[in-house]
Amino acid sequence: MLRRDFVRTLISFFVAGKVARAQQRLNDPTLPPPAPVPWTLGLNARTPVPVTALADEIAAADLTFFTPLQMRTLTRLSDALLPPLNGKPGAVEAQTPMFLDFLIGSSVEARQKVYAGGLDWLEATAQAKYKTAFAQLDDAQAGELLKPWLRTWMSDHPPTEAHADFINIAHDDIRSATVNSKAWNDVPSVGAEPHTEEGIYWLPIEPDVYGENPSYAHTPPHVLAMPKAGQKMPVYPR
Amino acid sequence: MRNEVYDVLIIGSGHSGGMAAKILTEAGIRCLMLNAGPVADISRDAERLPASDLPYRGFRPPGRLEHVFQSNEFNANVWVDEQEVPYTFEPGQPYNWVRVRLFGGRSLFWSRQSFRLSDYELKCKSHDGFGEDWPIGYADIAPYYSRVERIFRVAGALDGPPQMPDGAFILDDDPWTSSMQRFIDAARPRGIPVCKQRRALGVNGLASSVNLLLPDAERTGNLTSIANAVVREITVDKNTGLPNGCNFVDRISRREMSVKARVVVLAAGTLESTRLLLNSGLANSSGVLGRYLTDQIYGAGVVASVPEARGRKGAGIMGGGALVPRFRNIDTKSDKFLRGYAFNVSSMTGGLGPRNFAAYGAELEKKLDEYYGSGFQMTIMGEVLGRYENHVRIDKDKVDAWGIPALHVDTKYTDNEYNMARDAVDVGSELCEAAGFEVLSKNPVPNPPGYSIHEIGTCRMGDDPKKSVLNKWNRSHDHKNLFVVDGACFTSGGWQNPTMTILALSMRASEHLASEMNKGNL
Repeated sequence: MLRRDFVRTLISFFVAGKVARAQQRLNDPTLPPPAPVPWTLGLNARTPVPVTALADEIAAADLTFFTPLQMRTLTRLSDALLPPLNGKPGAVEAQTPMFLDFLIGSSVEARQKVYAGGLDWLEATAQAKYKTAFAQLDDAQAGELLKPWLRTWMSDHPPTEAHADFINIAHDDIRSATVNSKAWNDVPSVGAEPHTEEGIYWLPIEPDVYGENPSYAHTPPHVLAMPKAGQKMPVYPR
Repeated sequence: MRNEVYDVLIIGSGHSGGMAAKILTEAGIRCLMLNAGPVADISRDAERLPASDLPYRGFRPPGRLEHVFQSNEFNANVWVDEQEVPYTFEPGQPYNWVRVRLFGGRSLFWSRQSFRLSDYELKCKSHDGFGEDWPIGYADIAPYYSRVERIFRVAGALDGPPQMPDGAFILDDDPWTSSMQRFIDAARPRGIPVCKQRRALGVNGLASSVNLLLPDAERTGNLTSIANAVVREITVDKNTGLPNGCNFVDRISRREMSVKARVVVLAAGTLESTRLLLNSGLANSSGVLGRYLTDQIYGAGVVASVPEARGRKGAGIMGGGALVPRFRNIDTKSDKFLRGYAFNVSSMTGGLGPRNFAAYGAELEKKLDEYYGSGFQMTIMGEVLGRYENHVRIDKDKVDAWGIPALHVDTKYTDNEYNMARDAVDVGSELCEAAGFEVLSKNPVPNPPGYSIHEIGTCRMGDDPKKSVLNKWNRSHDHKNLFVVDGACFTSGGWQNPTMTILALSMRASEHLASEMNKGNL
């Protein structure tokens, strides 16, 4: 073998090895691709979705709407109207009073007045009749104050009579908030016991105008503000 | 950018717009459809969840939908946000404007009740002297009802009295349950008819523009549609004075754009179509554009319990529903109110709501258990009289998210409607008691106007251009190439859900339009 042939063979051996190793790097999914990469690389329909908890179940919140006295009254009212029964949590265990502080605090003024005025009236009535706070009344005493105001009513038309409006609206809200709580849902309902409402939840609806998500591909073309299939997309030389 | 002139611009994609698109494109007419909102794709946009996984525990999120009583946390994102597209009303006169801007509009979400109007409604003035007769009679619209009923697969029985004309139904011959039979036996001696319900079965559980109308239009190749196109105004040709397209703003990008067409068809829903005409300064030489807003009273009713069904003994007793068509002021005359109401009747097999019992705690739970599966409910649909003073106009001080002037609604119910609701509750209670049922709760107060989602009128049709906005073909008296095919065209209302009539009138108007265009008259 001539000297130059030997050198050529030696060089080609090294070059081939380097190319092969480079190719191996490219084909090895365990090795990172050369940077920079497209910033959405790797996200796809098989990407695991992290499991999250409800903040309502984990975190604490400060009172934002009710006064501390009103909250004590609401807590006792909630316990009286929906106590723990047959293994199901009551309104207090379901954190319903604090949830109502959040809900009513962001509701319209008319609803806020019903609650704030109703709780103040309940406290004043307890003080006048029993000379003690409503929060300290036993079930029989609380019943003496509440039962005269209970009414039957149909959807969207709660009683409009003063005091009956608050008692019946609050009862309905306390019950719904409790039944739809995680604490209630965690305990199976038996017989006619109400079940946590379940249904189709609609996310905010916005079009995927770029068609990036393959799961959108079945969306009928007529509903997208995009060129129809008959109008060919341009093909660019690369 | 293209600057194509389409044959017809259709604004709105619900039942009326979908029907117009189907009829026109099948006649070879090239249509452009604009819809103000996005596409709803349930597999992409929705998921099944318990309320306990939602931040408001299923309650309606405060602030966005205060006048949409039908809303809750599950469906809050399908309705029009009242902050994004606000409207105003008179102090003390709330109006519940319940809107959907998704592609397909409110045809995606409706109760499927499918009734025909009769000449008691279409020729109402001739019958009782109030209001105006329509420029068409039942015979004019009956053939279109039949075609619509076949498309929407309406189920019902041929059991209607003259005020509830029968149609081309998929026959319902299911026997009545014993609770329903007892109700019928109580109603008959009082001269109150009880009929089978009439409802659109649709296809695959859906009876919407998006599955029953638009696919036919698309198959012709003559339909182009754009989503998220919020129409700002109808444009007018400076030379002819005729509408020639519209300006719209892209809902997402806020880019201002325009399209051209030889004919404009409004199908945006009663009040949006009227708002658009008012904002465009069109079709109002009569001065009645926006006037005679009407709907139906809902919310009044009775809830009862069938004693024999309590303790979970309801098999064979409970189940099924019925429709009591208007029976007041047909052969007799009430001294309390004009026109009349219908009852939706339901014999329920599930649990009764806690509001039906004046109890709480363990006592309430015991009642709910005892009464489970014994509920019997009657709710009314009552005609609201069309009055000139009940109207909408543009609120010059309020605009929506795209700067388009908002609508102001000035309407209220009168003693006629309140007396009607009270009468309904009295009659409903009497019938339940006569049938041996225990009345648990009742409500004689109607929900606010608009709640029924059956708003109609404001572009009423008529023969006289000085007293109406549209002619008998849904065409503007003022502009020969402008049509309104949604509920705005109604001259007066009725007790009936208006959907079948809207569809039939849109079909009729669109066939007339196609004929005129193919003859070269437009």
